[in-house]
Amino acid sequence: MENRQRARTAYSLLLPVWLVLGIFFLAPLVLMLAVSFAQRGTYGGIEPVSDLRSYLGSGAFLANHARSFEAIYLKIGWRSLWMAVLTTVLCLAVSFPAAYYLAILAPRRWKSLLLGLVVVPFWTSFLIRTYAWMFILRTEGLLNLILMGSGLLHRPLELLYTQTAVMIGLVYGELPFMILPLYASLEKLDRSLLEAAADLGAGRSESFRRVTVPLSLPGIAAGVVLVFIPSLGQFVVSDLLGGARGMLLGNLIQNQFAVARNQPFGSAIAFELMAAVLFLLLAYAVYMKRRGEEELL
Amino acid sequence: MKRFFLILFAAAVLTSCSGKEKPGQARLNIYIWTNYLPPAVVAEFERRTGIDANVDTYDSNEAVLAKLQSGVADYDVVVPSDYMVKVLAPQGLLQTIDHARLPHFKNLDPRFLNQAFDPGNAHSLPYLWGTTGIGYDKQKVKEPIDSWRALFDARYAGRILMLDDPREAFGAALKLMGKSINERDPATLRRAAAMLQAQKRLVRTYNSSDFANLLAAGDVDVAQGWNGEVAAVVAHAPGRLAYVVPREGGTLWIDNLAIPKGARNLDAAYAFIDYVLEARTAAQIVNGVRYAVANKAAWPFIDDKIRRDPAIYPPKEVLDRCELIEDLGKTMPLIDELWTEVKAQ
Amino acid sequence: MKGGWHRRLLAAHTALIYLFLYAPIAILVVFSFNAARQTAFWEGFTLDWYRRLLDNTLLFRSVRNSLIVACVTTAAAVLLGTPAALALARHDFRGRRATQALLYLPVIIPEVVLGAALVTFFGAVGLRLSLTTVVIAHVVFSVSYVAIVVRARLSGLDPSLEEAARDLGASPVETFRRVTLPLAAPGILASALLVFTLSIDDYVITSFVAGVGATTLPLHIYSMLKVGVTPEVNAVSTLLLAVTIVLIVAAHRLLLGDAK
Repeated sequence: MENRQRARTAYSLLLPVWLVLGIFFLAPLVLMLAVSFAQRGTYGGIEPVSDLRSYLGSGAFLANHARSFEAIYLKIGWRSLWMAVLTTVLCLAVSFPAAYYLAILAPRRWKSLLLGLVVVPFWTSFLIRTYAWMFILRTEGLLNLILMGSGLLHRPLELLYTQTAVMIGLVYGELPFMILPLYASLEKLDRSLLEAAADLGAGRSESFRRVTVPLSLPGIAAGVVLVFIPSLGQFVVSDLLGGARGMLLGNLIQNQFAVARNQPFGSAIAFELMAAVLFLLLAYAVYMKRRGEEELL
Repeated sequence: MKRFFLILFAAAVLTSCSGKEKPGQARLNIYIWTNYLPPAVVAEFERRTGIDANVDTYDSNEAVLAKLQSGVADYDVVVPSDYMVKVLAPQGLLQTIDHARLPHFKNLDPRFLNQAFDPGNAHSLPYLWGTTGIGYDKQKVKEPIDSWRALFDARYAGRILMLDDPREAFGAALKLMGKSINERDPATLRRAAAMLQAQKRLVRTYNSSDFANLLAAGDVDVAQGWNGEVAAVVAHAPGRLAYVVPREGGTLWIDNLAIPKGARNLDAAYAFIDYVLEARTAAQIVNGVRYAVANKAAWPFIDDKIRRDPAIYPPKEVLDRCELIEDLGKTMPLIDELWTEVKAQ
Repeated sequence: MKGGWHRRLLAAHTALIYLFLYAPIAILVVFSFNAARQTAFWEGFTLDWYRRLLDNTLLFRSVRNSLIVACVTTAAAVLLGTPAALALARHDFRGRRATQALLYLPVIIPEVVLGAALVTFFGAVGLRLSLTTVVIAHVVFSVSYVAIVVRARLSGLDPSLEEAARDLGASPVETFRRVTLPLAAPGILASALLVFTLSIDDYVITSFVAGVGATTLPLHIYSMLKVGVTPEVNAVSTLLLAVTIVLIVAAHRLLLGDAK
């Protein structure tokens, strides 16, 4: 009785959210899937389907999805995947020592200030932080000015509009998202375990390998998820720092909607990207479940 | 907790007071190319008419098409290029322009009126015109440039810029092949696409907004570009930079003022268009953006240096080898697809 | 525990990280006062670029739009998300798993996908793109953040406080108003701040769904960036940074003060 009433209260509390997300989130996604099976009209837009039955039977129904598996688009997917993996690995490699220092070695009275300093860039505009690198890396930018002015170089470095620049921009933008979960996880580490390991004769690297890393895996996993997925779908950094040359999945989708005006094809790519992300997250959830963690974040 | 939201609310109110908008005031929404309308011209219009003008910009015709086709954008004046007018009008996306409502219509240069893409100027009026060519750094290139070949030259690898525009990029390749920029044959287009794909590793960046600045700043040495903006940076560094329309010929384009079908501020739109057609305003625009205007009455008021700049007002033999871009109808999806593949690889 | 040089090495590494994080920002700020237009060569101190910003009505309009969107979005997200968090944290019901999944989805789906889906949807139902569509889009991803953060806060609370209130005869509504809500307040505030910031800074989704005259600050900045590197952008960036830092410090003070 009590439970039924509690359930009813829950439903009425949830109704507004269900409505809003149902109409403005689920419906658009379903619509996007439907559009991905359509064809583009001559001038963009969507070609209306007169005979649904014959259309379903024809090859045109799956045309967009089939096209997305052509070599040239698989290459884009591969490139995006590779960039995201590289970004994540770099972020992890760079962040772990810093997070370790902050969580375990830093003097207590400075901890919250130092942590706050990591968070501040996160609160500032992403566009602006990307622009900062445009300013630094361009041919007449600060980096070249310093290198040429000090006589170290005679020809300016062409860093802007390269994959290197995109990498720098991505790592720069995602760094706080890796440091924070790592810190949170390492912070909860029981120091006495490390002491015990030392007492049992384990060297520094051994206790790091066999105690610290396994115990901080949830933090690593969370950080990887928080960095990898946005990196996979991003297009701003590759647009501004990459010179509109190396197309990634995000650029492709945006391009199909804004420039090539092929909404059906763009929807197909977008849907496949979403499916891939959901699949990866499902794997993550299964992994976390195995470890006995109830909450995902 | 209350203080926090109070601060936010106050901030919102304060910034909204800095806008000049009052409810009931006439508005005008303009959608125009970047760097195509000097702010002073807009400000003067607002001062004279009391209409509040909102200017949004774009750097490709395809963006205009996408916005107007979505049916849910809300502009009163747009500025499509020649071939885009031919695409928009039959789809019913543009209004018929009533010339009687434009007292300064007589200022327009007859050479630019009644073009194939809009007979009788039913849907558009010429605004600015120009050429597409190559801007280059005289001190960095091996010999003076006079051909589209320079953009495909491996000697300039990594120092080349192309416009981020499918028609212009294909135009360069097609002209180099000796074809028309309005080629429709799929096999020829695929060959052009193959050229562009091979060229890609030589290109530093594809950019339709910043090409002149990148050339001037030394980020690239050879840049495809529209004449006005390149002419502007050449004027600042005439010993170093130059603009040329290649001998194979280039694109001649005419950008036009048009009123979209769903425009809600019709009076304001006509007021603005007529204002822009005035001789002095047109001259002010030319002096500001350095693109030629299709307005003969403006000639006396244009800066002498600009009148004599061959990049902005090219001689007849240059104009003769230029072509207007035409709409390709059913071939358009093929070009879009090939362009996606060029950008994607 | 850890040897001296190890500690110093890690400290040095961490210092370098901070340098990497802040140097670009500092450079932006410093060069917003540089009189040179094109190069990074220092040509003298000037406030010119800031003065030019004052004349830029388009900029003010976009700031105003961003603030309107952020305020409405935050209010809506809090009003929709807090009850959802309450339901998830305190009640048992069928469809719990599905609701959780539904709330997590907008956060994990790449922004490009969400933007594309929304613009397709608005076109299909004939809803004109405007500031309203921007708000709708922002609310969609913001609700999740509020629900997640507030729910985490609620889960961490000691349920015995609420039980005690009920034992003392308080009705569920009263318990909520006088016990649960004040205890959950820091979580609600934190999520409000988070959502406000995300909304002000959003570029990707907004670029798909913004209509005429609905240019927000990130959209305006992006169009400034597209036209190239100019000192005006440096000046705008510096101002934005200053405002952000002031807000963070203020929020920090307020939150700490309230939570005590």
